[in-house]
Amino acid sequence: MTRSADVVVIGGGIVGAACTYYLARAGVDVHLVERQFIASGTSRACDSLTLLWDKSPGPELILGRASTALWAGLVEELDEPFEYHRRGTVLLAEDEAGLEAGRQTAAAMQAQGIRAEPLAQADLLKLEPALSPDLAGGVFFPDDAQIDARRAALALVAAARRQGATVHQGAAVTGIRRRGEEIAGVTTQAGDFATHRVVCAAGVWSNSLARLVNLDLPIRPRKGHILVTARAPGFIHHPLLEGGYVSTVQTAAEGVQVALVAEQTPAGTILLGSSREFAGFDRSVSLTVVQAIARRALRFLPGLAQVPAIRSYAGLRPWSPDHLPLIGPVEAVPGFYLATGHEGSGISLAPVTGRLIADWIVNPNRVMPAAAAVRPDRFELRPRTDKPTNH
Amino acid sequence: MPFAELAVVGAGPAGLSAVVTAARLGVKVVLIDEYIQPGGQYLKGEAFADTLSSPAERQGRALLRSLPSAGITTYWQTVVWHSEKNRLHLHRPQGPLTLDAATVIAATGARELALPFPGWTLPGVMTVGGIQVLVKAHRVLPGQKILLAGSGPLLLAAAYTLISHGLPPVAVLESSAPRQWMRFGPALGGQTGRMSEGWRYLQALRRARVPYRFRRAVVRALGSDHLEAVVTARLDSRGRPVSGSEETIPVDALGIGFGFIPNVDLTQLAGCTHRYAPALGGWVPLVNEHQATDVPGLFAAGECAGVAGAEAALLSGEAAAWGAACHLGRVDRQELAHHLTRLKQARQRQHRFAAVLNTLSSPPDPLLAALAVGDVPICRCEGVTAAAVRQAIDRGARTLDALKTATRVGQGLCQGRTCGPILARLVASQTGCPVEQAGFFRVRPPLKPVPLSTVAAEGVE
Ligand SMILES: Cc1cc2nc3c(=O)[nH]c(=O)nc-3n(C[C@H](O)[C@H](O)[C@H](O)COP(=O)(O)OP(=O)(O)OC[C@H]3O[C@@H](n4cnc5c(N)ncnc54)[C@H](O)[C@@H]3O)c2cc1C
Ligand SMILES: Cc1cc2nc3c(=O)[nH]c(=O)nc-3n(C[C@H](O)[C@H](O)[C@H](O)COP(=O)(O)OP(=O)(O)OC[C@H]3O[C@@H](n4cnc5c(N)ncnc54)[C@H](O)[C@@H]3O)c2cc1C
Repeated sequence: MTRSADVVVIGGGIVGAACTYYLARAGVDVHLVERQFIASGTSRACDSLTLLWDKSPGPELILGRASTALWAGLVEELDEPFEYHRRGTVLLAEDEAGLEAGRQTAAAMQAQGIRAEPLAQADLLKLEPALSPDLAGGVFFPDDAQIDARRAALALVAAARRQGATVHQGAAVTGIRRRGEEIAGVTTQAGDFATHRVVCAAGVWSNSLARLVNLDLPIRPRKGHILVTARAPGFIHHPLLEGGYVSTVQTAAEGVQVALVAEQTPAGTILLGSSREFAGFDRSVSLTVVQAIARRALRFLPGLAQVPAIRSYAGLRPWSPDHLPLIGPVEAVPGFYLATGHEGSGISLAPVTGRLIADWIVNPNRVMPAAAAVRPDRFELRPRTDKPTNH
Repeated sequence: MPFAELAVVGAGPAGLSAVVTAARLGVKVVLIDEYIQPGGQYLKGEAFADTLSSPAERQGRALLRSLPSAGITTYWQTVVWHSEKNRLHLHRPQGPLTLDAATVIAATGARELALPFPGWTLPGVMTVGGIQVLVKAHRVLPGQKILLAGSGPLLLAAAYTLISHGLPPVAVLESSAPRQWMRFGPALGGQTGRMSEGWRYLQALRRARVPYRFRRAVVRALGSDHLEAVVTARLDSRGRPVSGSEETIPVDALGIGFGFIPNVDLTQLAGCTHRYAPALGGWVPLVNEHQATDVPGLFAAGECAGVAGAEAALLSGEAAAWGAACHLGRVDRQELAHHLTRLKQARQRQHRFAAVLNTLSSPPDPLLAALAVGDVPICRCEGVTAAAVRQAIDRGARTLDALKTATRVGQGLCQGRTCGPILARLVASQTGCPVEQAGFFRVRPPLKPVPLSTVAAEGVE
C-alpha cells in the first residue's frame, strides 16, 4: 500500500518529534517514520539540560534563546508534562584560573542580556553544600532548564497526532525514491509513501539515509557515557557543570574527554557525566570511561562516595565539524531537508529546529536570519557522482 | 591482581557442586557469593530434623561440609557487579577487588515471580520463598494467620515448612486446575522420589487440616498500613476471576509465588546468546551439554541456565565443572564425554520434571490481565502504575525497552528484575504478540548497586 504525504519526517528522536509537531501545527499533512519507537535513539541516552552559556554569542546563541523560549511555551502548549524545571545551572571552577574564565563567560552572557551570577567560594557552598569545599567558586545561570527528552519527545508526538500528524513506529526507511533530482517517495519496512519532501532527523544515523540520495554528511557519532546513582533526594539543587566542560566539547581530540556534569532527576537519581569520544557506532559501556566519570564526580562531590551507583549507559551524539547543527534544505536534492548534527545540544535546540524546518517548508520568507549559520549547504553538499560498484 | 583458573559466581547447589568437582579435578577455584554464607536459596540456614530432607538437600549439605577442606578460596558478602571478558569486578564490605579468571561459571540461580494485584505492596505481602527463608533460615514467623497463593509445587513445599514449624497456613490457593496437573503424570514417570515427596506434602496438609483449593487466587489485599485480610476469587477455565465468587479471609501474612525466573544478568552482560524457553522459566543462555555458553570460557550452571530444581542444579554444576576443566586442559575431551554420559539419564529426567514445574507454576495471563489495572503499581521501585503501562502499550510500546522509555519502569534500584517478566506478559496479553517479542531490559554495569567509590576505584589490590 502506498500512502501519500506532504512531508515525511525520518526519525522519532527529540529533533524529529519537534519537526513533526511544528509541521502539523502549520497544517501540513506530515507522517513521522521511526525505525524502532519514539526516542529509541540518542534521545533516551542523554542528560536533560538546555544550556545557554555553552553557546557562542551570535547565531548559535540567538537560536538557543529562541529555543529556550519555545520550550517554556511548550509547557503550556503540550498537554503532557515532560519534567520541565527551570532551576538554572551552576558552572564550577576548581581554581582561580577557572573562576576567571567563568567570570568572562558570565560577562559575555550578561552583555547579551542573559542573567549570570558569579559566585565566590562561600556563596557556591551555600548554594550547593555537597560540593567540595576547596573549589574556587562558580557562576549561577538562572535561565537554564532541565527537560526529560524522552517524555518531551513523546509529548511532542502526542500533540502532533492531535493536530493530524500520523506516526509510524517500527518503520525503518530502506529507500528514498526520486524522479530526476526531486524526491518522489520513501520506502519503509511498514509500507511506501509518495511524497515530495523528506526531513531527515535521524541523528547519528542521518548519514546512512543521506546516502540514499547520494549525499555524504560530515556527521560522526560522538559517544557519551552516563553513570546513574540510586535516589538521593536533595543531594544537589541545580545541575552542576565543571568549567572545563566547554573545552571538552570544542576539542577535536579523538580520545576520551571527561568533564563533570551532575544533575538530579525529579525521581531523585543523580545522572553523572560526561564523556566525549569518537568510538564508531558502538553503544556498549566502557568501564574505564565510567570509572573516570565516577572519579571526576567524587572530586567535586565527595559525599557521593557511599551513594550506590545503579546503572550506566552510553549514547551517541550527532557531531558536526563546526559544532553547529545542519538545519534546512539541501539545494542539490530538491525536497530533501536535514535536521541533524546537534551534538550535545539536541534537546536544547529541538524546538527551534522544528520551527525552522516548518518555516523552510511552509513559508521560507519567515525563516529567521540566524538560520543561515546552520544551513547544511555551508558544507557544500553535492551528490556523489561515482557509480556504485558491484561487489 | 588475584588470579583463578576458575571463578564460580553463586554458592547455591550448582555453584557448590561445581567448585567441589573442579577442585577434585585439580583446578584452582574461587567461589563468590553476595550472601553472608554459602548455600544459595535451597540450603539457606540450618537443616532441621523436622524438615523433609530430600536427596538433593542431603547432597547439598554434604558439599557445604566439605567446602572448608576442599582447597577453595571463598568470598562471601561479595557482589560481582561487572564482568569484562574474563575479568570480574567485585565489591566486598572492605572495598573493591578485581579478579582475573581463565574460566567462569555463572551459578546465580533464579528469583521468584510474584503477580501484581491491588494491595500487593502492603507490608505483610511477601513471596512464598521469602516466607520459607524467614522461617527456615531466620526462624522468624511472618505472621499468625498466613495464606499461601499462586501456582506450582513450591506452594506445597512452603506449606509443609510452615506446618513443620507449628504454624499451618490458613489455606493454600492454587490458581491452576487439577486437570492441568494430571496431564503431566507421564513426565513424572520413574520419579518415585518426587512423587513420594509430593504425597508427603499432601498428607501433611490433610493432617493439619489446611484447605488446598484449586482454581482460586488472591485478587486484593486489604489493610491500612499492614495486611489485614485478602479477597480471594474462583477462577474460570481461562484463569479469570469470577465475579460473585469473592471471599474475604482475615490474614496477617500472604505468600505469593508463580514460579521462578532465571537470573541471567551476568551471562547477558557477557554477551552470551539467550533464548526464550518457557519450559525453563524464561530467558536462558544458550548452553551445550557441559553448560558452556557461546562466549569462550564462560559456563552457566543451575537455575540461571534453566529452572529445574535443586537436584538438576547439582548435576549441571558438576557438568559445568567438567566442561571448565576440559577448557583448561585438565581433562581431555574423551574423559569429559564419558563423564557426561554418566550424568545424562538423571539430567534428562530432571529436565522433564522441570518442564512440568515451570508450566504448572507459570501464572495464567488472563489473571494478570484482570489484576494489573488502574493504580496498581507494576514497577515498585519507581511507582509506575498499571494504567501508565497500559497507556504506553496503547501508544505503540511493544518492548520492555520502549516501555522504559515511555514510563520510568525498570529504572529503579532493582533495575527491572521484579517488573520485567510482568511487563513482558502484560505486553503479550494486551497485544496478542508472543511474550519473547517484548525482549528484556538491557543489562549494564553495575549488575547490583555498589557505592560510587567502588566504581571509581582502580579495583586492583
Ligand atoms: C551522554 C549524553 C548527554 C547529553 N546531554 C545533553 C544535554 O544535556 N542537553 C542537550 O541538549 N543535549 C544533550 N545530548 C545530546 C542529545 O541527546 C542529542 O543531540 C539528541 O538526542 C539528538 O536527537 P535526534 O532526534 O537528532 O537523534 P535521535 O534521538 O538519535 O533520533 C534519531 C532517530 O532516528 C531513528 N532512525 C535511524 N535510522 C532510521 C531509519 N533508517 N529509518 C527510520 N528511523 C531511523 C532512530 O531510531 C532514532 O530514534 C546528550 C547526548 C549524550 C549522548
Ligand atoms: C523457598 C524455596 C523452596 C524450594 N524448595 C525446593 C524443593 O523443595 N525442591 C527442589 O528441588 N527445589 C526447591 N527450590 C529450588 C531450589 O532452591 C533451587 O533449585 C536451587 O537453589 C537452585 O540452585 P542454584 O545453585 O542454581 O541457585 P541458588 O541456590 O539460587 O544460588 C544462587 C546464588 O548466587 C548468588 N548470586 C547471584 N547473583 C550474584 C552476584 N551478582 N554476585 C554474587 N553472588 C550472586 C546468590 O546470592 C545465591 O546464593 C526451592 C526454592 C525456594 C526459594
